[in-house]
Amino acid sequence: MKIQFSEVLPEPLSSINHNELSIWNSNFSLDNVKDRRTILNASSGKGKTTFSNLLLGIRRDYSGKIDYDNRDVSSFSIADWVEIRERKISVVHQDLQLFSNLTALENIEVKNELTKTFSFPELEDLLKQVDLFDKKDQLVATMSMGQKQRIAIIRALCQPFEWIILDEPFSHLDETNSKICFEIIQNRCDIIDAGFILTSLDPVEDFQFDKYLKL
Amino acid sequence: MLKKTLFQNQDKMQMIIAILGSLIGLVFLISSIHYLIRINEFGKGEEILGSNTMIIQKKVSNSSSLKLTKNDFTREEIERFKNEPFVADAQVVICNNFNVLLLTDDPLVPKFSSDVFLQTVNAKFLDVPSKKWTWKEGDTIVPIVMPRDFLVMLNTFMSASGIPQVSEDLAKDIKFKLRISNDSKKDFISAKIIGFTNEIPSLLVPESFMNYSNQKYATGKENKITNVMISSKEGEFGNMEKFLEERGLESRKSQVIIGKLKSIVSTLFIVLLVISIVTVLISGLVFIQYMQLLIANNQYQIRTLLRLGYHPAKLIVLFTRYLGLTFGFVTLIAFLLFLIEKVFVDRLFEKGGIEISHSLSIASLISIFITFCIFVSLSYLVAKRKILNEFFS
Repeated sequence: MKIQFSEVLPEPLSSINHNELSIWNSNFSLDNVKDRRTILNASSGKGKTTFSNLLLGIRRDYSGKIDYDNRDVSSFSIADWVEIRERKISVVHQDLQLFSNLTALENIEVKNELTKTFSFPELEDLLKQVDLFDKKDQLVATMSMGQKQRIAIIRALCQPFEWIILDEPFSHLDETNSKICFEIIQNRCDIIDAGFILTSLDPVEDFQFDKYLKL
Repeated sequence: MLKKTLFQNQDKMQMIIAILGSLIGLVFLISSIHYLIRINEFGKGEEILGSNTMIIQKKVSNSSSLKLTKNDFTREEIERFKNEPFVADAQVVICNNFNVLLLTDDPLVPKFSSDVFLQTVNAKFLDVPSKKWTWKEGDTIVPIVMPRDFLVMLNTFMSASGIPQVSEDLAKDIKFKLRISNDSKKDFISAKIIGFTNEIPSLLVPESFMNYSNQKYATGKENKITNVMISSKEGEFGNMEKFLEERGLESRKSQVIIGKLKSIVSTLFIVLLVISIVTVLISGLVFIQYMQLLIANNQYQIRTLLRLGYHPAKLIVLFTRYLGLTFGFVTLIAFLLFLIEKVFVDRLFEKGGIEISHSLSIASLISIFITFCIFVSLSYLVAKRKILNEFFS
């Protein structure tokens, strides 16, 4: 799916001066084949969360134009956005957006029941890979931030997608867990021909990227 | 999983208040509608005269007996009756001005005859199709309405003759004839009973027959209007009674008592109906408010589910179904409570001598169905508005 931004400027960010490299108020496009590995680098308050909210149709207070496969998203109906959220774009939100009254496994199942992406053994296998299998029946409310981040990543993978937006997904993970999670995401993207956009506060040196965006 | 996500943490107290309120309101609602209908049906069918219909006359006093005051009605008085707001209709009752004898004319029934007194009644006061209450010159059979007391008398005679007594239905099949005469001529005409009345002690015949016979067999005496048939509007019996009292008029007590009773009980049930509608409305509002609170408490969960790709329609249906099932359960319990209550209330009416039908009235069933549909529709609209608000936020 080709995402195209044409001079997009969210209203809350209109009073801020954006430098010429910023994606705001400029023209750029992302292709999930060509730009499969994209990094979006920005400091706090520059609109990383706003960016993912725009892509999911959560925010509509912007000027300019956003197109998905040459179709203006402002014309999208609720059904179109439901399809985007369920089958085209997956997001690991910065605030994770987990259900604290559910267990780790239940949080994943909420998404997997909707999309029927993985079988139960496959889910168990993913939990084993991120070292959370023994915590699957633990309430998310009682988990550490690192554990929650890994649950949110697995949940985001439980759907078909053409893009996955990763909003600072490894901020509370150690290097080992970060690498494991990143590999799982990359493998999944390779299997289903999807691209990812990884947002980060700091310049990223460890990973190879096809496109670099700045806010 | 969705149910666990959305309905796990609730304030049960508000739900309990809404359930209790709805339960009481619904039981009242079904009861009041059911008994309002049954009370209004009371007395129908037995009486061929339409509901709230009576024959009135001026009270006979000593002075009227001495002919110091008049006992007959003028045409102007009847017009004034018609103009009263609680009067549905008023018509002159014409009496016979000739001699009449009623005779049995059936080989299966022993000979019986009795002098009778005829009066007319307009077809609109009768609970029979108007085409059954017609007579024109040349017709060989005249339809009649017989006083029930007359049937009792006939049965007493049958019993004394060693013949089985007849029911009202059988009596309608017995052939009768009327001998109409004056001092110089007489004629016979067949008569067929089409119904019975408790209200009038005379035989009722169509107006056309009375006019024809009065003209042909008149004895020359002046035919005064001493009776007027009058029907009051539904639930206006109180006003009618007051009117009769003020004008020095009287009617058969039974009809006034029944009318008064029906009026009082109907008014009570109307009051109960209003109270129950208000109760159902308030409890329905508490339910809707509870739904709003439930949605507000689950705002984060709803928003997250929508971001995960759940269709708003799915969540709207989920909330509507949850509240709909709860209200449906309350409706069912209310209906069962009504059935139990009905057993006792029916017995109370029976003890009080008021025989009402024990079957369920369709209107009361329809009323709870409509209430349920209104509630589910309102729940759906509230859920839709609230959840769609979350979709783009």
